[in-house]
Amino acid sequence: METMNKLGRILMVEDDPKDVELTLTALEEYNLANEVVVTRDGEQALDYLFCRGQYKMRSGENPAVMLLDLKLPKLDGLEVLKQVKSNETLRMIPVVVLTSSKEERDMVASYKLGVNAYVVKPVNFHEFVNAIKELGVFWAVINEPPPGSIRK
Amino acid sequence: MARPTLRWQFARSPGLLYGLAATFCAIALGLALLAQRYDFLDMEAPLFLLAIALTVWYMGIGPAILAVVLSSLAFDYFFTEPRYSFYITRAELPHYAVFILFAVLVSWFSEVRHRAEQKLLQSRDELQMEVVKRTEQASLLNLTHDTIFVRDMSDIITYWNRGAEELYGWPAEDAIGKHSQQLLRTDFPIPIEEVRAELLRAGRWEGELRKTKADGSEVVVASRWSLRKDDQGRAVAILETNNDITEHRRREQEIQSLNQELVHRSADLEAINKELEAFAYSVSHDLRAPLRHMAGYTELLQKKTSSVLDEKGNHFIAMILDAAKRMGNLIDDLLAFSRIGRAETQNGRVNMDQVVKEALTQVRQETEGRKIAWKIGALPDFYGDASMLRLVLVNLISNAIKFTRTRTQAEIEIGGSEGNGDDVVVFVRDNGVGFDMKYVNKLFGVFQRLHQSEEFEGTGIGLATVQRIIHRHGGKVWAEGAVDGGATFYFSAPRPRGELWRP
Repeated sequence: METMNKLGRILMVEDDPKDVELTLTALEEYNLANEVVVTRDGEQALDYLFCRGQYKMRSGENPAVMLLDLKLPKLDGLEVLKQVKSNETLRMIPVVVLTSSKEERDMVASYKLGVNAYVVKPVNFHEFVNAIKELGVFWAVINEPPPGSIRK
Repeated sequence: MARPTLRWQFARSPGLLYGLAATFCAIALGLALLAQRYDFLDMEAPLFLLAIALTVWYMGIGPAILAVVLSSLAFDYFFTEPRYSFYITRAELPHYAVFILFAVLVSWFSEVRHRAEQKLLQSRDELQMEVVKRTEQASLLNLTHDTIFVRDMSDIITYWNRGAEELYGWPAEDAIGKHSQQLLRTDFPIPIEEVRAELLRAGRWEGELRKTKADGSEVVVASRWSLRKDDQGRAVAILETNNDITEHRRREQEIQSLNQELVHRSADLEAINKELEAFAYSVSHDLRAPLRHMAGYTELLQKKTSSVLDEKGNHFIAMILDAAKRMGNLIDDLLAFSRIGRAETQNGRVNMDQVVKEALTQVRQETEGRKIAWKIGALPDFYGDASMLRLVLVNLISNAIKFTRTRTQAEIEIGGSEGNGDDVVVFVRDNGVGFDMKYVNKLFGVFQRLHQSEEFEGTGIGLATVQRIIHRHGGKVWAEGAVDGGATFYFSAPRPRGELWRP
């Protein structure tokens, strides 16, 4: 597929395996799933971003977009967001908060920390698929990522 | 006040006084001549002296001089040799001189005595006046309900009014003469030496004291002390006024403890609120996730199997998805409802005409393809949160639109009226399917519905939301309706302060 060549790497931070599966399924449908890196908690996500721990050996490029759940084990999403946005090189990564929560305070806190988009996961699956697809297409395909991001 | 006098009142005119003096002398002369005639010897001098004494006593010094002069002349003329001549023989001269001396002495003594007596009387009068004045003051002090007593500088009670008797229980005769601090077992908040020093320095002292009544019970009094000084500026007495503030203090303490309890309860409430918030957050997150998964996997299943499933199988899947969607809506509504209770409000003057306009814009979509006759009257201004009040109207108007769906010509009226006290009222009336007044109490409950969901959709949260918002405004909601006879929903809320509304 044409878009494949331009596909950026997507970093997904999601603890719920079912959400991971559903998201990957949704992305697969649009051939966006191949370059998805899944981390299961905040600490792992930061390990990936800072190339440490199990990700010590990875090449240092930043993902084209990060899909971030807020409710995570160990470090929660807002803490991850805070660390990312306060780091000189990581702050350029577009971060999309993808969460179940419609809570206003989460939304406000996220925007205050500099989130690029805030998406509430719809209960309805095809709406969810649409949302994921649009997110994937926009951030991983259409959007020109900042220098230093992985693009295939 | 008329001052009693020894001098005759009628004898005020000097002419009369001198005339009387002359008359006394004439009477004395007459009596002396009469005595002489009947051979009573040496009566003339005492009689004249008597006349002079009476004159000086009753008429003062002026007429007395006249009396002395007249008596001397008469004595000389009638009773000294040679008789019936003012000439005095050498032998008679001492006799005559002694007479005049006596006359002058009698006048002088009499006048001195008179003055002394006068002075005495005057000071007696003044004393009486003072007594009357003091008695009046004392009875005035007795009239007041305030507790007043006076003590000397060694704290011995010298005056005790009725208020003191009423408050402390001792009658004046029992209290007077007692040591006040010992009688009342006064409890000073600061050392008494300081109180005394302040009193002597400033002439007054004020403070709260604890005292004990005759029956042994304690009273708290607001005590004011004033120092009384004599003409030389020496402190002689202390006037103490006490007001019983026991009840006042007790209430204050009650209020304080109530306040503390309130603070405590507020903290509890806050904690509960926090818990609720955490609960709502958890509902928002954790309840929606499995629901989303159920729906997600069901849709995937549907996609994969719809071609191999029969009609019934597909129907089941559709029902699962429908139920998931409904539960999603319920959770969303419930969260929105819980947010109303937690949301910060911004209270101010709310122009309800404007709010209705905005609400109508918001529900426009629901009126598509409908024939609705709107009747919108003038509305009063409210005091409250504009966005919340808009939500109230959106819910009520939306309901009116929904429940008039079966009417070919729907009529919806929005109007205002004066409420009780500081409240103003807005109502939304429709000619829809209405409701049975039997169930009016169920209308505003969460998830309470009076219609089958096939008939009219909805989660049953709308009117609960309305009620919650209006209750937060300190207002009331109520409804009137009849089956198939339309419904009217009223809500009241405070008007902007100090304003009257006339439609």
